[in-house]
Amino acid sequence: MSLASPLREVASPDADQEVPTDPYHRLRQLLLGPEQTAIAGLQQRLDKPDLRAEELSRIIAEAIVLRSHRDHALQNALNPLLEEALRVSVARNPQLLADTLFPIIGRAVRSAVANSLRAIVESLNETVERSVSWDALKWRLESLRTGKPFGEIVLARSLRYRVEQVFAIHRETGLLLAHVAREAESARENEMISGMLTAVQDFVHDSFVETKGAELDTVELGEFNVWIQHGPEALLCAVVTGTPPRELRNALQRTLEELHSNFASVLSQYDGDTESASGMRPLLEACLVGQQPRGGKQTASRAWLWVALPVAGLLLALGVNWMVQRHRWNQAIENLRAEPGIVLTSEENVWRGYRLSGLRDPMAADPAEIIRRAGVDPAKVDARWEQYISLDPRFQLSRHVAEEKARIERQVILFRVNSSQLDPEQLLRLDDVESSLRRLQGYASASGWKLKLEIAGHTDPTGQEVKNATLSQKRAEEVIKALTDRGITADAFTPVAKASQAPFEWKPGSYVPELSRRVTFRVLMDNEQK
Amino acid sequence: MIQKKVCMIGSFGVGKTSLVARFVRSIFSEKYHTTVGVKIDKKVVEVGEKQVTLVLWDIAGEDALTTVRASQLRGASGYILVVDGQRRATYETAFDLQRRVGEAIGSVPFLCVLNKSDLRERWEVTEDDVEALRQSGWPVLFSSAKTGEGVEDVFQELATAILKIPNVKDDRANEATPRGI
Repeated sequence: MSLASPLREVASPDADQEVPTDPYHRLRQLLLGPEQTAIAGLQQRLDKPDLRAEELSRIIAEAIVLRSHRDHALQNALNPLLEEALRVSVARNPQLLADTLFPIIGRAVRSAVANSLRAIVESLNETVERSVSWDALKWRLESLRTGKPFGEIVLARSLRYRVEQVFAIHRETGLLLAHVAREAESARENEMISGMLTAVQDFVHDSFVETKGAELDTVELGEFNVWIQHGPEALLCAVVTGTPPRELRNALQRTLEELHSNFASVLSQYDGDTESASGMRPLLEACLVGQQPRGGKQTASRAWLWVALPVAGLLLALGVNWMVQRHRWNQAIENLRAEPGIVLTSEENVWRGYRLSGLRDPMAADPAEIIRRAGVDPAKVDARWEQYISLDPRFQLSRHVAEEKARIERQVILFRVNSSQLDPEQLLRLDDVESSLRRLQGYASASGWKLKLEIAGHTDPTGQEVKNATLSQKRAEEVIKALTDRGITADAFTPVAKASQAPFEWKPGSYVPELSRRVTFRVLMDNEQK
Repeated sequence: MIQKKVCMIGSFGVGKTSLVARFVRSIFSEKYHTTVGVKIDKKVVEVGEKQVTLVLWDIAGEDALTTVRASQLRGASGYILVVDGQRRATYETAFDLQRRVGEAIGSVPFLCVLNKSDLRERWEVTEDDVEALRQSGWPVLFSSAKTGEGVEDVFQELATAILKIPNVKDDRANEATPRGI
């Protein structure tokens, strides 16, 4: 329904409307008729919501534009509604939002990934250098001590760069917002420089970069760097000499963000009046960090070298020594494990040495000797061995050999005074020796060992020693003869004349003459395996 | 201090750069034109009591190969449309350029400058053509970069026009028609 028709309806003095007869009412109608009609029309407009809606629809767009220019109340009022509407829309049909975002999401992700990758690569060298240098160590300590973030200390202490000038540039117009410089005289052509920076930026962007969102962020010229940070409304350009650390970029970014939040209205309505942006100067001045590289740094670093070199040498030597020790110890452990009759149950490094424990067959080789041969000082090793019997065949044989050897060596063939004649009663003992020797010979030939028998003749201490020597020799030879008569073929029988030098002593100083007139045996098995 | 970005626009060889060179002493070399496509200069102009710094974006001439980039026009408070009186083609291009610049940055003050007024007798652009420009609401000025005639006036007038508009940004959205002085 159009706005005009109801008005006409009311306004027309049509037939169905009763003409009032009352004079007062007639007078009223005569005097106020047009106004009454108008009021009735207005009333109707106010009462009918659809009419109001239609009227409002004609001006609502203009009204919104006007209001949004005046203040942000409308935006604030609409914000929750829009958010809710968006939420409902996404909940109802997620595909719609996905389709809408599709053309830009890939680009956004690519750009974000590319940026972070570049940041990683940029920082890699620096990180490596940073993590090992002396300065870095000092800075870390200072950071720990003062509680300030490491990055802040790097910015403040780094000697290799200096921010010379900082420009804040309005992005849309390329006009200068604010400029600070260390040297006053450099503040001359800043309007043109900021314009040119923007133009170069656009040029690079239009000429080489397809992707939206990619920006020129570094201009390098010898030791001058221009670092450019981009924001939606403004750019921050820092002219830096030397090699700035990457923390500077973070600092610039933070400053730029502060500019955007503190000067939002200035930025969105900037009309070239630098007065309106003069409040930015303190923020920019805070970016004039760094110091000029010091001349004395070279000598300082050399002096440091004189300390560093011996220390590094010492550390290297210690390291090498430790590795050698380690290797030797591992070798010793390996040899111990390979040794028959030794079972290693645990080994550990302790302060300035090692601790070992395990089982050891009494027949097994000496562990200390094995350790020593591997190059480890046995004194450093605290070893605890439990005894056990190994079933290793090599030990079975050795065990038998040892048994027979002990048996032979226990035997003593006694003689009468001044006689080298074998007494018949002593023959029994000789039988014993003989059978033991036979077994030993069997073992020896089985294992390839050589059997040697030392047969020592003795006399009592009475009589002349010269005579005793002859007598003892005779006694030994007598026994050897008796054994060879019985068919024993020792590889080497060695008679030894001991005379009265080794009398049988019951207890120290009190020998027993009868028991001293004798022949004793010593078995020497050459343990060398073939 | 107030700064305003002003673009110099016109076909190749109409004398934009010469006009600027007459007006300011440049620090950037001519090479910027051929490389970056724009050369930037500044000039401080006094309007009443106020000083305004005009940041002049001298954009490389429009010809068959180059087109004016929107990125260079962005944020301009005004522009100067330069026509070479000796070449009628540059006059005809001017209409097209004005339309395209208007589309790119909205309605901002501008001036049409008929350059090379020292060679008036050789002009292809006639009095009728000039009248047609004025009829379409364009402010028209004559200048000679060679003699310097009218050059200061061009920038002075534009600066005055720009300062009359308190907030250029707000108006741009509402007005679709070109606004001359």
